[in-house]
Amino acid sequence: MTTGLNTPPGVSQKLAATIGLPYTLTTGKAVGSTITALASKRLTGSYCSDCQRTNVPAQDYCVGCGGEMSLIEAADTGTITAATTTPEHTLLLVQIDGASSPLLHRLVGPAEGAVPGVRVRAVWADETKALFLDLEGFEVADSEAAASSPVDTTVDDAMKEMPYRLDLDYQHSYGPYYGRLFDELAHHRRLVGSPCPQCHQVMVPPRERCDVCFARTTRLVEVQDTGTLQAFSIVHLEFVGQTRTPPYVYAEVVLDGSSTRLIHVLGGFEIEKARDLTIGMPVRAVWKDASQAQGTLADIEYFEPVV
Amino acid sequence: MTPHDYVRVGIVSSAQTLLKDAWDDLQHVDLISEAVSEALRGTGLGMSDVDFIINSGSDVLDGRSISNCGFLGAMGAHHKEESRVEEDGLWSLSYAHDKIASGSARVGVVIAYSKPSESSLTAYYSALVEPFYQRPVGLDHASAHGLQAAQYLAVHGVDEKELSVVAARAWERAAANSSVDTPQVPGLDEIATSPSVATPLRALHLSRPRDGAVAVVVASEQVARRSTSNPVWISGYGSSIDSQVLGEREPGSFPAAKAAAQRAYARAGVSDPRTFGIAEVSAGSAAAELMVVEALGLAEPGQGASAYDGAASTVLNPSGGALPADVVMATGLIRLHEAAGQLAGRLDRGAGSASSALVHGAGGLAHQNHCVFTLEV
Ligand SMILES: [Zn+2]
Ligand SMILES: [Zn+2]
Repeated sequence: MTTGLNTPPGVSQKLAATIGLPYTLTTGKAVGSTITALASKRLTGSYCSDCQRTNVPAQDYCVGCGGEMSLIEAADTGTITAATTTPEHTLLLVQIDGASSPLLHRLVGPAEGAVPGVRVRAVWADETKALFLDLEGFEVADSEAAASSPVDTTVDDAMKEMPYRLDLDYQHSYGPYYGRLFDELAHHRRLVGSPCPQCHQVMVPPRERCDVCFARTTRLVEVQDTGTLQAFSIVHLEFVGQTRTPPYVYAEVVLDGSSTRLIHVLGGFEIEKARDLTIGMPVRAVWKDASQAQGTLADIEYFEPVV
Repeated sequence: MTPHDYVRVGIVSSAQTLLKDAWDDLQHVDLISEAVSEALRGTGLGMSDVDFIINSGSDVLDGRSISNCGFLGAMGAHHKEESRVEEDGLWSLSYAHDKIASGSARVGVVIAYSKPSESSLTAYYSALVEPFYQRPVGLDHASAHGLQAAQYLAVHGVDEKELSVVAARAWERAAANSSVDTPQVPGLDEIATSPSVATPLRALHLSRPRDGAVAVVVASEQVARRSTSNPVWISGYGSSIDSQVLGEREPGSFPAAKAAAQRAYARAGVSDPRTFGIAEVSAGSAAAELMVVEALGLAEPGQGASAYDGAASTVLNPSGGALPADVVMATGLIRLHEAAGQLAGRLDRGAGSASSALVHGAGGLAHQNHCVFTLEV
């Protein structure tokens, strides 16, 4: 098969994907102490005696001189210096009494009247979750500015770690080249690549530019679902994002009629037999049942050695 | 080595894709190879003449780690020196400049790209925020810009109407720029009554994310003169970063942008920035654009709106700037492509002929980081 690139692409043009990133964040002394102390309705700051600088909430190191700061008891009252209201909430910059720079937090109560110059007081959450939101936010409340002489403090059993998770969602476009590859897989159960007119290597997946010499490719060719095992590794390790359960055999296969290595897995044998695999041995695709075809490279269940 | 020994660095050519809401039918690699191919076209330079590739993109936006590793073919980087900078493309250009200026390379291609349409920009900006004290409170792109805008208006006593005027002018210019896809151009009223997103900012006061890619070919003076009859010279650059914590930043101004500009002006020997023919600047909001203009010295503090006056000596954002088309990670380098293209006569944005230009790019949450380039012909 030799075909131009102008064939209309199929309908499946996007791949939905999620990357879930689990973390254990190390808080350090200042953050751990500050968040732990919120449970007993105390706000913690930090003080640099060289710069006479006070940060609320507490920081380990002074932004002025880089020196280590000592922990202090901070006032729970202050003055609004800036506010912004979004459809979800009002965020404030609050100059805590005695602090050198404002703290960012939420307004508790109506946005009207929460303007720069207005006095506010801390509102404590009913239920504590070992998060900065154990300080629920600040409400408008008249009060005299508190005294600003820093008093050293220590926090017993300060938290040291915080579990955290970031989930990122994507809709990846296939583009014309991958789209065509996936269409060919879905409708004809065949693989296509793009030959380089200059160095003549055939690339799978197909692409617009030759990886090696940057020449523009102009057509697609069919490549075989048989090939040569170029590299393999037996994976015993579990890791985030894995699609197979270890142990399994990761493999790089050069398909007959192509020049590039296709990443896939080997199967069709007991894992103990993996030691008999040799680089250079012929392999062939074992396709999933046609009813399970989704138009992706996972339509190939695995590659098996040809014996 | 004294500055006298440095090799002068020229922009040979540059190109960008159309900036679109969503390039649904193309991958990153397709956008990148289009920009790179177009930038090399007509220069007589082929990939074999290129010594190095430096590129800007975001792993978080791309949805894969070390995403440049998968884009090498489209960038032409096979077996070349290749580096990734996780900042706007102007920072990539600063490293490219130094490689050539120091004599360690002669020709480089600088690339920047993104497809924010494939991911969540809210999640991207949230991932930039400090995770213990600021992220749980809900600080994000819009609210950070909202707080900054509120401070700007309050510190200088500026009327919030100015924000809509700045945005409307940007859209009007972008509508005349064939590189930006603008199916609908909002007018002043539509901008001033668009939904409130983070007071005082409305939806149309914030920059609009767009998909796209840009590529810039830079070379030593000798190669640049041989490759184009219209080389544009880099006369200076500087960058500067502010505190990550919003509360630690100076309200109402961008001292880091000012510091970056002062470094660039000192290198270029410029004492009055109003002598630049063109300025192309980046901003995530209309208020931020005014603050950038003031930090660059194109207007007095609080008087940024005056820089848009037809009588101003520097034509400000003839392309429309970043508000109508923000290709996060590429916006600053697109500004440079615009400015260099106009100086070389490749692009006409109605700014007339100019012999020098000022370019600004920004990075981080609510413009923590700034980079400034000066160009001349
Ligand atoms: Zn200090
Ligand atoms: Zn080739």
